[in-house]
Amino acid sequence: MTEVLLIAAAKPQLGVLADSVRRFNSHGARVRLAGTFHLESSSEEIAALDLTELHQLPRSLTHRSQALRRKARTSTVGMRVWLQARRNPWLRSHARGADVLVALDPGAVYTVWRLSQYNRSAEALFGLTPALKAVERLGARGVAARRPVLPPLGALARDVRRSVDGLPAALLRTATARPVMRSTVGARLWRGAVTAPGLPTRVRTVTARYVAEGMQWAGRTSGAAMVLADAASRTRDPALRAQLLDEGATKELSNGVAPRHLDRALAALLSHADGEFAAGRPGTAAAALDRALVLAFHRVLHIDQLSSPLAVDAEGFVAPLHGAETMRELSRGQGRRTPPERAPGHRPLRLLVTTSANDNFLHHVLEHFGNHPDVELRYLDLAASKHLKRIAWAGRRMLEDRLSGGTSDFQEEVERLMRPYLDWADTVFLDWSVGPAPILTTIDPGTTRIVVRLHSYEAFTRWPHMTDFSRVDDLVFVAPHVRDLVTSLVPQLRGGQAPRTHILDNAMDLTAFARPKPAEARFDLGLIGVGQVAKDPRWAVDVLERVRRHDDRYRLVMVGGDMDAKTSRATREYRRAFEKEIAALSESGAVVRRGPTDDVPSELAGIGTILSSSVREGCHVGLMEGAASGAVPVVRDWPFYAGKPNGARTLYPEDWVVGSPEEAAERVLQTTATEEAWREAGKLAAEHALSVWDWSVVSRQFDKLLLEGDRDAPAQAPTEKKSAR
Amino acid sequence: MLASPLMSASPRSALPAEGGRPHLVYLAIGFPPAAKSCAYRMRETANQFVEAGWDVTVVTIARESWERDSGVDPTLLEQVDPRIEVVELPLAREDLETDIRRYDEARALNPNGWVAALRRRQTKPFPEPNFGEWRGDLEQAVLGVHRQRPVDLLLASCVPYVNLAAAWKLWEEERVPYAVDFRDGWSIDVIEGIEAFGRASEEGRWEQRVLERALALWVVNDPIAEHYRTRYPDIADRVHVVRNGYDSESTPDRVRTADPGSGLVFGYLGTVNFPAQHLEAVLNAWKAAREREPLLANARFEVRGHIGSGADRGTNRHAEILRQAEADGVRFGGPAAKAEVATVYAGWDALVLILIGGRYVTSGKVYEYMATGLPIVSAHAVDHDASNVLRGHPLWTGPVGIDEDALTGSFVKAAHMAVETVAGTHAEAMAHADQFTREALMTVAVRSLVERFEADRETGADLETGEAPGPEPGEAAAPAPGAADPKPRAEKSTVAGGSAP
Repeated sequence: MTEVLLIAAAKPQLGVLADSVRRFNSHGARVRLAGTFHLESSSEEIAALDLTELHQLPRSLTHRSQALRRKARTSTVGMRVWLQARRNPWLRSHARGADVLVALDPGAVYTVWRLSQYNRSAEALFGLTPALKAVERLGARGVAARRPVLPPLGALARDVRRSVDGLPAALLRTATARPVMRSTVGARLWRGAVTAPGLPTRVRTVTARYVAEGMQWAGRTSGAAMVLADAASRTRDPALRAQLLDEGATKELSNGVAPRHLDRALAALLSHADGEFAAGRPGTAAAALDRALVLAFHRVLHIDQLSSPLAVDAEGFVAPLHGAETMRELSRGQGRRTPPERAPGHRPLRLLVTTSANDNFLHHVLEHFGNHPDVELRYLDLAASKHLKRIAWAGRRMLEDRLSGGTSDFQEEVERLMRPYLDWADTVFLDWSVGPAPILTTIDPGTTRIVVRLHSYEAFTRWPHMTDFSRVDDLVFVAPHVRDLVTSLVPQLRGGQAPRTHILDNAMDLTAFARPKPAEARFDLGLIGVGQVAKDPRWAVDVLERVRRHDDRYRLVMVGGDMDAKTSRATREYRRAFEKEIAALSESGAVVRRGPTDDVPSELAGIGTILSSSVREGCHVGLMEGAASGAVPVVRDWPFYAGKPNGARTLYPEDWVVGSPEEAAERVLQTTATEEAWREAGKLAAEHALSVWDWSVVSRQFDKLLLEGDRDAPAQAPTEKKSAR
Repeated sequence: MLASPLMSASPRSALPAEGGRPHLVYLAIGFPPAAKSCAYRMRETANQFVEAGWDVTVVTIARESWERDSGVDPTLLEQVDPRIEVVELPLAREDLETDIRRYDEARALNPNGWVAALRRRQTKPFPEPNFGEWRGDLEQAVLGVHRQRPVDLLLASCVPYVNLAAAWKLWEEERVPYAVDFRDGWSIDVIEGIEAFGRASEEGRWEQRVLERALALWVVNDPIAEHYRTRYPDIADRVHVVRNGYDSESTPDRVRTADPGSGLVFGYLGTVNFPAQHLEAVLNAWKAAREREPLLANARFEVRGHIGSGADRGTNRHAEILRQAEADGVRFGGPAAKAEVATVYAGWDALVLILIGGRYVTSGKVYEYMATGLPIVSAHAVDHDASNVLRGHPLWTGPVGIDEDALTGSFVKAAHMAVETVAGTHAEAMAHADQFTREALMTVAVRSLVERFEADRETGADLETGEAPGPEPGEAAAPAPGAADPKPRAEKSTVAGGSAP
């Protein structure tokens, strides 16, 4: 009888496994499966497998020493699985008796590799098909009777050596264990040790990293960052200093908090980048600059919080960045050799509309120009091609190219992949000013007109700072306050090479939203889209609670998917607080969650008041659609822009916008006091929405931009375009 | 035919090239018994050279190495001319190793990361992941063959493209002319239809240098030929379309009578190399068609072919998707040996042509499918070269893309075709493929290449025209040790029947 031991770290393909087990059995093998994945969650399917035995290996390292768990945290999956499984008596016993040891996935390979050191005669294989072949082979030649033997001395000796090699790390982890680091005395002691004079740099660095790791395990994330910052302050090596500060800031960001030493980390990274750039090392300069930009525009700082340094002092926040030599180099517009050409009169305008995956706001644009007699339309989703996807977000390579004066192979790659499209198109309309914008502007657009649309999210990312706007002809914003913010952030948009800017509303077909509302809709406050912290639904709950004090018929109806807690710790924490807040309200029916839907018009038909509770928006599509449906709009004066020249108050009619939950409740109570008043307010809102934002109106703006704007472009004589594949 | 490692190859009479049978060394990694779709084209090519009066030495890798890949099909050897000598090099794809005892600790700890690093390393000797490190062995192999028996012509079939280095070496050292059978082409990504690399890249310099002096370049369809003619206008007249075609012994003599009572049988035969979503779309459409069309209520859909390689061989996500579709009458029957292909087709009532790529991909199975005379459901991009081949076929449901609803309609249409078509139409459908027998196509191609070779030999031309445009590939302009690594490239996708017949 051939003994087969299968080991899986992840849930295997159970249908295929069932077939394989049958084939093993038909060859007279006995098959056992041991897994670190949760066997019980697939118990029915696994029970149907014709296994001799099934064994759940430890699924985690809970109850094991903290030093071991800390080691596991920094190890590969393979090592983690082995650390979980190695002491398991069942596994050790059956591994010693197995004729064929099989890893079913990459995570299980190391465990099989280690077990095979103790059972020198067993086959050790990766995958079911090789294992089946081995069983066939063994079946043909017969398996020799096996008796349990002690592990080979060599394997034991190697184990001892591994333990000795790992001793310093284990000791340091034990010495910086959670109880020590949790105590103020212990933490202070270790911080002192890290800053002790005379320590060799390597020792100080290694120690600081272990101490930081211990502090993080003890819940002292900022303490961890401080230790790394302390160590950084004691080194003269700019690369190491930047690295340590970067590590500290990253630890805090991954814990959802704004780094205490962000300014120092940015300064160190930029200084290192500038030094490397001056020394003619664009690769390392780009790597450091990239890290600086990633930290400066991390979503925890700007997107997953209810505020952002950009809301407080946008120009002040980016000033140190743009003071760096490398950033100045990056901001130096390369310009275009020739102005864009007008489309030849004898044929339609060749329009290339492109984006990377997100085409949420393009449907009407594509439909409109796809049917336009004066336009030959092509659509390019950069995420749909593996080649284009590889360059579309390659920020670091782009930075290296700019810092090396365009001599890296990246430019050639962009040229090769994008030039055929530029050769074909008269005009490129790129939606979203994110990764693809700097990539596209890496190369000279030739005679093609480049139009980029920036919504709102992009303002809080690094991408506009990396885009060469001197190669963009027209930059389209969806609202004036976004234009103001981005222009204040990006020096290129304020200089002589800045593109023309336009404000164009998003393309929305609002006529579909005009549906009759039942009388009971008057008491339903609606929120369309609650999937991001910036939507701040807790503000809406506050409003709800206030109006319910007057009339408990009011409800809050939320349409859309929930926030994804996996996005970041900050998001997770917001969601946790929010869930706690609405638990009782949900139970009583005062808060209704409708979840994601493809049929927003039907949902809006039952909503009487549409809220915009966000801390920031570009233009709030859900709010506009709600207004078009005849719901009464109540718009928070988005705090990011409140008090600035443009914001919610300039985008919407003044009476829609409120400064506080109190004002919001007051407006709700006032406009829904009677059914007649409510219907009248809703009617006025719908009229406004349809007359200003409906696609029938906005499409003319797009025509003007893309068709007439083409005629406004400098009068360069048209030449015949090449055909792109 | 002899199968031997190079160093133990049986001694051959050292006939001079002049006066005796000319000697072809054929770099054909994938030659039978490898169960690769390219094996058919390679087999026919070698046979045709023998027919044309040549001695042929095939250089490939050890048959055991194919066990890691898509396996071995001994029945493929049946039609190999016994006069062909085969040199098997002890090379194998290291990334596909499944014996964990051969792993070092670093590989065991992180198998995927280790393979990624391996692929980067492999591109140093020659810019091709998985195969680049074979360069030295292949170069020595062809030089060794030449020393034992002078070679008159070398034909390199790619993939792998590292064969080009061996062709170049024999040219450089011994001035042996060569031709290249690219099948799909290197600088064109046939799946996405875009340029795979630039001219200045290391791959670009290799391709340009080798093709400039090639006697001929074969590719499988017109769009790829056009790409090469445009890219290298100087060799435009040496670029030839050599379609894959089909083997007449692989198709049934007659179409079976469909019997809806016992259930229609649809079939797919070929490597399962398309994305899982593509397979799911086809199976969803199949399920919907069975629910919609009474003719399909008890129909079956059999899938035969290779799935996955290395540790995933036969057990990857695709295998699981097929397993889960069993309730819908879907059955995965594993690979079919070449000798049983005609029998497999004879048991089916309609075929499903699932292909990746677009206008640059033709595939080999489209020809074989046509020759069966059965209705064909196309499950590929509308703008696909297979559509061009199928246009005019009377039992083709037409190109509808990979849209589930439209594919559902295609399955329904094919069911009616299978039941309602008269014998004459089946014959007409089979006749549509007559022009594409592999033997006929390859006879012409080999004859043309031999004529070109002979003409050049008579005139003494050696294609050494003009100055070299740049440094030798892999030399001066290649990244120096310690410089930035050459840009890693993902493994170039192969197309069953496209990159190979």
